Formats: sequence, structure tokens, C-alpha cells
Amino acid sequence: MDISFMEILKSVFTLSLGYATVRICISIVFASIGEMITERSGVLNMGVEGIMLMGAFTAAVVTHFTGNPWIGLLSAGLVGMLIGVIFAFMAITVKSDQAISGLAIYLLGVGLSGFLLQIFFKHGGNTPRVETLPIMHFKVLENIPIINEIFNDQSILMVPALLLPIILYIIIYKTPWGTWLRAAGENPKSLAVVGKDPIIIRYVAVIMGAFLAGIGGAYLSISQTSLFSEKMVNGRGFIALSAVIFGNVKPGGVFAAAMFFSFMDALQYSLQTVIPDQYFPREVFMVLPYIITLLILAGFLKQSKGPADITNPYEKESR
Amino acid sequence: MEKLRKFIIKRGEILTTVLAVIFAFMVIAVLLLSTGRNPVEAFGYFIRGAFGDMFNFANTISRVVPLLIAAVAFIIGAKASVFNIGIEGQLLLGALTSAVVGWAFDLPKAIHLPLTLLTGALAGGLYALIPAWLKIYRKVNEILSTIMLNYPAFFFCHYIVLNVTPLEGVIPATPFVKESAKFINLVPGTRLHAGVIVAIFVVIVAYILLQKTTLGYEMRAVGLNQEAARFHGIPVEKRMMLAFFLSGCLAGLAGAVEMAGVHYRYLDQFSPGYGYDSITVAMVGLLNPFGAIFSAILFGALKTGILDMAVYTEIPRQLVTLINGIVVLLISMKGILQEKLNQLTKGKESVSQKEEVA
Repeated sequence: MDISFMEILKSVFTLSLGYATVRICISIVFASIGEMITERSGVLNMGVEGIMLMGAFTAAVVTHFTGNPWIGLLSAGLVGMLIGVIFAFMAITVKSDQAISGLAIYLLGVGLSGFLLQIFFKHGGNTPRVETLPIMHFKVLENIPIINEIFNDQSILMVPALLLPIILYIIIYKTPWGTWLRAAGENPKSLAVVGKDPIIIRYVAVIMGAFLAGIGGAYLSISQTSLFSEKMVNGRGFIALSAVIFGNVKPGGVFAAAMFFSFMDALQYSLQTVIPDQYFPREVFMVLPYIITLLILAGFLKQSKGPADITNPYEKESR
Repeated sequence: MEKLRKFIIKRGEILTTVLAVIFAFMVIAVLLLSTGRNPVEAFGYFIRGAFGDMFNFANTISRVVPLLIAAVAFIIGAKASVFNIGIEGQLLLGALTSAVVGWAFDLPKAIHLPLTLLTGALAGGLYALIPAWLKIYRKVNEILSTIMLNYPAFFFCHYIVLNVTPLEGVIPATPFVKESAKFINLVPGTRLHAGVIVAIFVVIVAYILLQKTTLGYEMRAVGLNQEAARFHGIPVEKRMMLAFFLSGCLAGLAGAVEMAGVHYRYLDQFSPGYGYDSITVAMVGLLNPFGAIFSAILFGALKTGILDMAVYTEIPRQLVTLINGIVVLLISMKGILQEKLNQLTKGKESVSQKEEVA
């Protein structure tokens, strides 16, 4: 290798690395914040990947046929909610094993999006190019050096993605609904005592989470790129699950974890351009989120404490 | 009526599973109809593609082999309440390891082929010890950990193929293995190879282990009721660890057999999701090794039949994953279905019985 270490550092740690991090994180933030809401209510939805796939697929197809990416975005959210209802019915009402139901949702998402893709667009593994959501250019940011390069000219979905953790912080810790949500995950019986039905709270939380996962998927196909291709979510749903664990099921923490994983991904892309492929194990960066998550779960990095009642179906006292 | 009642009570599990599969196919039929395709015609092509002639049939059976071994892998775990969703990753590692052993050594066939298969199995088994340890000593849900461990396995194999082993040509793969590490082909021109014998052997051994040995009895006891098993002096942790290890070994073996019988090298991304399919196969096979033979043939047929179907009726091959999803979804709801069925047939006595148990 004839490139010096300092040169590598200089050409890798640029402002465009920051731009790429934000660009990558948007879909993961939507999905992981959504999953955080779900887990707070005491339900673990491992099907995020499948919901994101269906969201990405729906957004691209609807945009293709209507020409309007906003209708595409909305439809993706609705499809997410619909899958959320199915999952909630299985996990909460039928009380089937949440992990297996999540697996089913994952397989369903992979299969259905791939199947319908071929039905609608016979050839190749992707849709035609579609309209994308607008890119936001803020005039006021132009004069602020670093901020301008990182946050300007990003997708319009960046704004809600950056606001989500703050909004969720307020909802979870400052509103009565947030208290009920936390109670549903910690001690659903206490919730029942004050006359609130944990089942309804859990349903709402699962559907909200699935809605956000659908939006996170839509971002991939109608904003970050301009088409849907088979399996394009490529593990981001599981990264989102990891971010929830890494972020301790708290809005700020989950957001920071999503940013960290996105940064690693951006760094990996950036390093690839300067270091010849045979010297650079990019795979190390790609497995990092999973390894970190497993280390946390194993209790090596820090004690992660999720909601106490997670994955336990709620049983009414009197039958 | 009385006979029907008895039948439902006795065979309720089989009945609900068959219902789930039929329902999945009905959903598919409706999907096909709504997109203007004829499901009956599609089914005809599917049957012809899977069983139509000797060649198609042989190809179907060649698909059954990895599915069946991997399904038994899932069953061995599930019997001890260990849900190994990491079969896909263990299968990849098994295939890679066996491909390297098959290529790097030059030994007589009687030693080389078994060694190739054994090292592949061992690789899968050792990798499965990670989630086993996490589950038993750190209380980490194994479904979560095994799903996550599939990704490192995939990226590891990808890295080895691209950067460590020499590349021959443009396809990312390890070099071909020596002749002594290959299964003989049974029907020339098809993919059917002698690995089918290994699959049958695995089914029989798994059945004997689970049903006829003390070890198997103890593993099943752990799966049924951990506390009771512990009370009776069964070392619960050890049995779970063993179940996980054996499950991983069989997953690795499934990959090794597919490598030594079909591809003769580790082909990057060779697995069309055998690991995930095997879960469905095992569930539809009612977690019984012999039951898995039937469901593996069903899903193996789906995999080959779909190819003909895709050509003639433009029905995409992704249908298989979709069917998998629907079947897993329905089977995970089987509990409530069976409860309803029992209530219908048994009437009130089942309710009172339940209360007694509780």
C-alpha cells in the first residue's frame, strides 16, 4: 500500500461522511423509533424487516402508478399499519409466540414483496424509476459551515426523522398516554386496575411501530433511491432491532444507536473508495451492529434493561 | 359423529396442520386469480414440473435432501425447546468449511468424503454453541440471537471466498473440491446425488435418538417442562446445550451435503434460504423426523415445480417464500385453532378439564 495513514484519514473523515451518515440513518431512525414504541408496550416485533420491505415496495409501486410520491408514502404507512394489525392480532389476541409470529411477518414481507414485484413488473428484480420525495434546501443553513454540508439538501423526511426522538420523549415521559404505554410494558395488571385496557394500548403501540417501519421502508425506495429492488432493505430491519437494544429502549438512546450504526455504514462505504478492496475487510463493519447487539444482550457492554413484561401475553384476571 | 369426534381429538394436531397448509394454498389461489392467472393450470404445471418425469422427479428429490437434513436440525432443537433460527448461517459455514477441506486435502475417498462432511457438521455445531451459551448462561432469547448471527456467518463466508481462497473465474466461489470429496451422481443429467442416503440416515438416527434413548427422552422432557425435568434430576442446561450443538451440526451437514453433491465448491449465495425453509418444513412435519420427509417433499417439489410454473404461467418463484410466510403465520396460530376445535368436539368437559390442570 502506498497511501499513507494520514492521507486515508483525511480523505475519509470529510463532511460528506456526515452527510452520508444522516442520509443512511433516516430509514433506520423511523424503523427503530417505531420498534421502540412497540417494545415499550411489552411486545417484541421481530418482523420489522418484512414490514420495511412491504413499505418500500408499496411506496414505489403506488408512486409509479399515481406519479405522486406523497400518495406512495402514505400508502406505505397504511400497509405498515395493516401488517401491524395482523401481527398485533397474533401476538396479543391469539397470544402466539411473538418471536415466531415475527419470523412469519419477516418471511411474509420478503415473499409478498418479491412475488408482487414480479407480478406487476415482469422482468428484472426491480421497479422502473419513480418520482422521489423533494429534497429540502434551507437558505438559512447556507451560512453555517459544517451544519450546511451535513444537513442541507437532504430528503424532506430528514425533518420528521430528527424530530421523532424529541416527540417520542415528550409522549413517553410527559403525557398520560406515555405513562399507560410504559405501564403496559412494565406491569399491565396495574394498568387494568386503573381502568385502562393493556390490550388496546399494546394494539396501538404495535400499529404505530409498524406505521413508522412502513415509512422507513418507503424512504429507501422513493427518497434515498428511486426504485424498489428485491430484498432492498438488506438487514436494516434487524439493525433497527439492534438499535433499540443498544439504545436501551429510550428515545434518545435509540436515536444515538441508529446514528452510530449509520455512521459505521457510511464509514465503510467511504473507506472502500480509498483502500483497495483486497486490503479492506468491509465485512467487519457490516457485522458490527450484530456483534455489538449480541455483546449487549450477553451483558458484556452494559446492563440493558428492557420493559419487564416484554413478550409476555397479557391474560385477563377473570375468564 | 362419534368417530369424527374421536378422530379430531386424536389427530387434532395433524388436522390443524393440514388445514393450515391447505389454507395457505387457498390464499395463493386467490392471489393468482386476482392477478388474472388460472390457479388450476398453475397447479398442473407445478405437478408436472416437480414429478412429471424421471428428471424432474430426481431434481425434486435433490432439493429435498438439504431441506430434510436442515429440518431435522430444527426438530432436534425444538424438541428441547431450543428454537434455532440460525440454521441458515450454520449451513453456510458448514458448506464453506467442507468446501475448503474438500479442496485443500488429497485423501482416499473412503476418508476424504466423510472427513469433508464431518468438518462441515462440526463448523455448524461450533457456531451454534454461541447462541446456546447466550441462551443458557445469559438468558438471551435464542430466536433473536440466532437471526442476528446469520449475518456475520454470511459476511464471513463472503469475505473468505473473495479474499482468502483463490478465485477461479469470475463467479465468487472457492475452487472445486477433489474427486474424492464428491458424492456420486445417481441420475446423470440431474442434481440427484448419493447424499440422499445421508438424509435418510439422519432421519432414522434422529428418530432413534429422540424416541428410543434416555438422552432423547431427557431432551424431550426439557422441552416439555423444564422445572419438572430439573426436579427429576435431568441436567437441563447440558441437554439444551447438546440439543443446540446437534442442531447446528445437522445444519452444517446440510450445507456440506449440498456442497459435496450439487455444487462441488462453496458458491457464494448458493442457498436459496434453505435455513428459513427448513423451519417451515419442520413445523409442517409436526416436529417429527419422519413427518419432515413428507413436508420436505412438499416444499422440495414447490422449489422445482415453481421453475416450470414460472416459465409457463409467469408466476414468480418468490411464491415459495410467500407460502412459507403464510404457513408459519398460520401454524403459529395453531394453538388457538386447536383449542377451538377441541371445544367444538369435546364441549364443556374440555373446559372443566383445563381448570383441573390449571
